[in-house]
Amino acid sequence: MRALYLITKKNLKILLRSKASALIIIFAPLLIILLLGLSYNNSEQFGLNIGVYSSSFTEDVDSFVTILEEEEFTITKYDTLESCIDEVKRGTTHTCIVLPESLQISGNGQKEIVFHIDPSKINIVWMIQETVKEKFNIKSQEISQDLAQDVLTRVVNTKTKITEKNAEVNALKEKTSSATSTTNSVKSSLSKLDLAAPLATYDVAALSSLTSGMETAIKKIEQAITAVDSSNMTSSKVAIKKPLQDALEELGGTNVTSTSLGGIITSLQTDLNSAKEKLAAASSAVKSSNTNLAAVSSALSESSTTLDSVQAGLNEVIANIEGQKVTEAGTLVSPLTTKIETVSEEGTFLSYLFPAILVLVIMFSSLLLGTTLVMMEKNSPAFLRNFFLPVRKMTFIISTYLTNLILIIFQIVIILGISLFFLKDAWSSLPTVALILFIAASVFTFLGMLIGYIFISEETAVLASISLGSVLLFISGTILPLEGISVLLRKFTYFNPFVIAEKLIREVFIFNTSLKVIWLDLVILIGYALILFIIILILESILHKHLMHRFMRHHHRAQRQKGKKNKNDA
Amino acid sequence: MELIRLKGVSKGYKKNVILQDVNLMLEAGDVLGVIGQSGSGKTTLLNLLVGFIEPTEGEIVYYSKVEGKEKDLNDNLHKIKRHFGFTPQHNSFYPKLTVKENLIHFGKLYKIDKKTLENNITSLLEFTKLSKHHNKLAEHLSGGMQKRLDISCSLVHKPKILVLDEPTADLDPILQKEILHLLEEVNKQGISIVIASHQLEHIERICNKVAIVHKGKVHSHGLIEEIKKPFIKDHFTINVHSGKEKESVLEKLKNLQFKKIIDKGHKLIIYPEHVKDTMNGLLNIINDEGLHFFDMDVRKPTLNEVFEKIALDDSEPKEEEQ
Repeated sequence: MRALYLITKKNLKILLRSKASALIIIFAPLLIILLLGLSYNNSEQFGLNIGVYSSSFTEDVDSFVTILEEEEFTITKYDTLESCIDEVKRGTTHTCIVLPESLQISGNGQKEIVFHIDPSKINIVWMIQETVKEKFNIKSQEISQDLAQDVLTRVVNTKTKITEKNAEVNALKEKTSSATSTTNSVKSSLSKLDLAAPLATYDVAALSSLTSGMETAIKKIEQAITAVDSSNMTSSKVAIKKPLQDALEELGGTNVTSTSLGGIITSLQTDLNSAKEKLAAASSAVKSSNTNLAAVSSALSESSTTLDSVQAGLNEVIANIEGQKVTEAGTLVSPLTTKIETVSEEGTFLSYLFPAILVLVIMFSSLLLGTTLVMMEKNSPAFLRNFFLPVRKMTFIISTYLTNLILIIFQIVIILGISLFFLKDAWSSLPTVALILFIAASVFTFLGMLIGYIFISEETAVLASISLGSVLLFISGTILPLEGISVLLRKFTYFNPFVIAEKLIREVFIFNTSLKVIWLDLVILIGYALILFIIILILESILHKHLMHRFMRHHHRAQRQKGKKNKNDA
Repeated sequence: MELIRLKGVSKGYKKNVILQDVNLMLEAGDVLGVIGQSGSGKTTLLNLLVGFIEPTEGEIVYYSKVEGKEKDLNDNLHKIKRHFGFTPQHNSFYPKLTVKENLIHFGKLYKIDKKTLENNITSLLEFTKLSKHHNKLAEHLSGGMQKRLDISCSLVHKPKILVLDEPTADLDPILQKEILHLLEEVNKQGISIVIASHQLEHIERICNKVAIVHKGKVHSHGLIEEIKKPFIKDHFTINVHSGKEKESVLEKLKNLQFKKIIDKGHKLIIYPEHVKDTMNGLLNIINDEGLHFFDMDVRKPTLNEVFEKIALDDSEPKEEEQ
C-alpha cells in the first residue's frame, strides 16, 4: 500500500515538474471548457443563412422575408434561382427558398414553397428543414386563419343581410295581406252592385207616333206662331196666338191616351229612380273600390320596392358568397405547401460523409507526420551535423514538407483508390479532389511542422498535434453544427482550414463544381500554407541556435550520465 | 601557419559567465587538447571555436589561406563552416542509414562531385576499417565502429580542422587506442585537430598543444612540454629530528649547491642548483647521518599531474616559504 502511494506520488511529481505535461494537465481541461463555453454558451437562434428567390419580390414576399430576418436568420435575396442554388452548393447559404410572388391565396390552388437543401450536410439538413418549415407553417396558419376569418365574415355578413331583409319580407307580407284584404273588400263591394235594368215593356210605337205627331203639330204651331208674329196684325195677334199656344199645349193628347202616357212616364220615372239609386250605389262602391284599389296599388308598389330591396340583398349575399374564392377545404386548411428539393443527386450517407472523412484523415495524418518528422530531425543524433552542412535552413524545411507530402500523396492515392470501390461515379471529380487534398495536406503539414518546431519533447508535440487536430475538428461543424456556436466564434470557424478543405471537397465531389468557382477558397488554403511556411522559417531561424544548444546540453548530459554509469559498472 | 585565433573571447548566459577572456591559437597541423574539469567550459570553448555559439565578448578569427587574410568566424560562418569537421560527444549520424548511406548523404550535401566523393568514401572506409561494414545499418555497428563512422562523417568533405568532443568516452581501452591511432593518422594527412577530453593520457599521447580550462578561464595554453615545465619537481624533502641532529645536517648541507632550503620543523625542503650533484651529496649526508628520506621526485610530471596540481593549487592554500 505504501509502495502504491510512493509510486503514485512520484508519478505525480514527475508529471507536474515536466512543464509541458503540467501545462497540458492543467490547461487542457481549462481550454476545452473555455472553448465549449465560448462556443455553445449561446441561446440565440441557430445562425442559418437563408437564400430567398422569388420571380418578383413583392411587398408580400418582403414581409415574409422580414419575418425570417426577425428570427435572426440571415437572409440573402437572389435574382436567379441558379445563383440561389449555387450558394447552397457552396455552403454559403443553408437553404434556398423559392417563394411565389404573393403568398395571398386567391383561388383554390395552394401556394407552393420550395426548399432547396444540401443533403450532404447530414448533421444539420433536417434541422434546417424543420426550423424553416416551422416558420412557414406559422405563416401558413396565419394565412389559413385569414381565409377562415374571411369565410366567417362572409357568413356573418350574409346572416346580417338576411336578417335585415327578413324584416322587409315581413313588412311585405303584411302589406300583401292588407292588399289581399282590400282586394277582397273591393271584390265584395263590386259584387254587391245591382246593375239589373227594369224589365217593363213600353208602347214605343204610340209614343213614337205621338212624338211624331206632336213634333209635327209643334212645328206647325210654331210655324203659325211665327207667321202670326211676322204678320201686321196687332190686335188679333194675341187672339190668334193664344189658341195656337193652347193647341200646342194640348198636343200632348194627340193619338195617345194620357193614361198610357202617364203610365209610361211613371214607369219610366220609377225605373229611372231605381236606376239612379243603383248608379249612386255603384258610384259609391266604385269610389270605395277606387280608394281601396289605390291603397292596394300603393301597397303593391311598396311591395315591389321591398322586393327590389330583398332582391338586391339577395344579390349582395350571392356576391358575398361568390367572393369566397377558396372553396377547397385543403387550401383553406393549409394554404401554403412546402416542397423539399435537394441541390444534389440523392446519394448514400457515405458519399455525404466522404469529404469530411477525407479531410479528417488527411488532417490528422499530415499534422502527426509533420510533427513527427520535425521531431525526428530535431531529436536525431545527426541534427548537430546538419549545422555544419552548407545547406540553407529553408532546404531542410522544404525537404521535411516534401517527405511528408510524398507520404500523404501515397495515402491519398490509397484512400481515393479504395473510395472508388464504394463511390463508382466519383471518377470525374477525383483529380480536383486530389488537388484540394494536396493543398490541404500542405497546410496541415506546415501546422504539424510548426508544432514540431515549438515543442521540445516528441510526446508533447504529438499530443499538441492531436489536440490541435481535435480542436479543428471540433469547430469544423462535422461533429456539432457550427450554426449552434456563438456568432463571434462562428466567424472565426469559417477560416478553419478543415472547414475550407471539407467545403471545397464537398462542392467538387457532390456538386461537381469546377475550379473556376471555388478558386477563392483554394487561394485561401494556399495562402495559409505560404503564411505557415514563412512562420516556420522565421521560427526556425529564431529557434535554431536555441534548439542546437538544447540538443547539445541534452546529449552532453546524457553522455555524462552514461559515462558515470559505465564507471560505476566498472 | 595560424588557422584560428580566439581574441579575448568571453561567453556567458545572462549573469552566468562560462568562459572569460580566452586567448587561444590553433596552427595548421596542430593537435590541440582542451582539458578541464566537468563544467569548466570545455564544450562551450569547442562550440565557440566552430561558430556554434557566438561570443558575448571578443572575437574569433579564421585565417583564410586562399584569400590570405583573417575573417571573423561568426560573420563568415556560412563560408568558413565547411572547413570544420565536428564530432560531438554523442554519435552524430543517422542510425537507420547504412554506413555508406550516411557518408554519401553528408558528402552530397557538401556538394562534392560524385567521383571525388566516391574516392573520399572509399579511402575513408579503408582508413577507418569500415569497408566490410559499409552496408550495415549504423545502429547495428559496435561502439568503436560507430565512433569511427562518426569521425568519417566529419571527414567526408576533407575539412581543415577536425573538432572532437570526448571522442574516446564510453569506449573500452582497445577501442580508445583505435580511435587515437585513427586521429593520429588523420593529423598526418594535414588536418588540424582540436580534442576536448577528460582522458588526459590520451591528450598527452596525441596532442602537441594543450589548453587547460579552469573555472571559466584558460589557465595554460601552449606546447605540452612548455605547460609541464613549471610543474617538474625541483626539490627534495628529508625528515630530521629537531635539535643537534638538524643543526648538523644543515651544516653539512651548506657544502652542497642549492637555491634555497625551507625549514618546516621535522622536514627540510631542499631546492638544488644542480639536481644530480646535489642529489649525490644529499644521499651521502643521509647515509652518514642515518636520516629518513621522505620524498624525492625528479621525473617530468604527467599532464594528469599538472592538471591535478592546477586544480588542487587553486582550491588549497599555498605553502609558506622560509
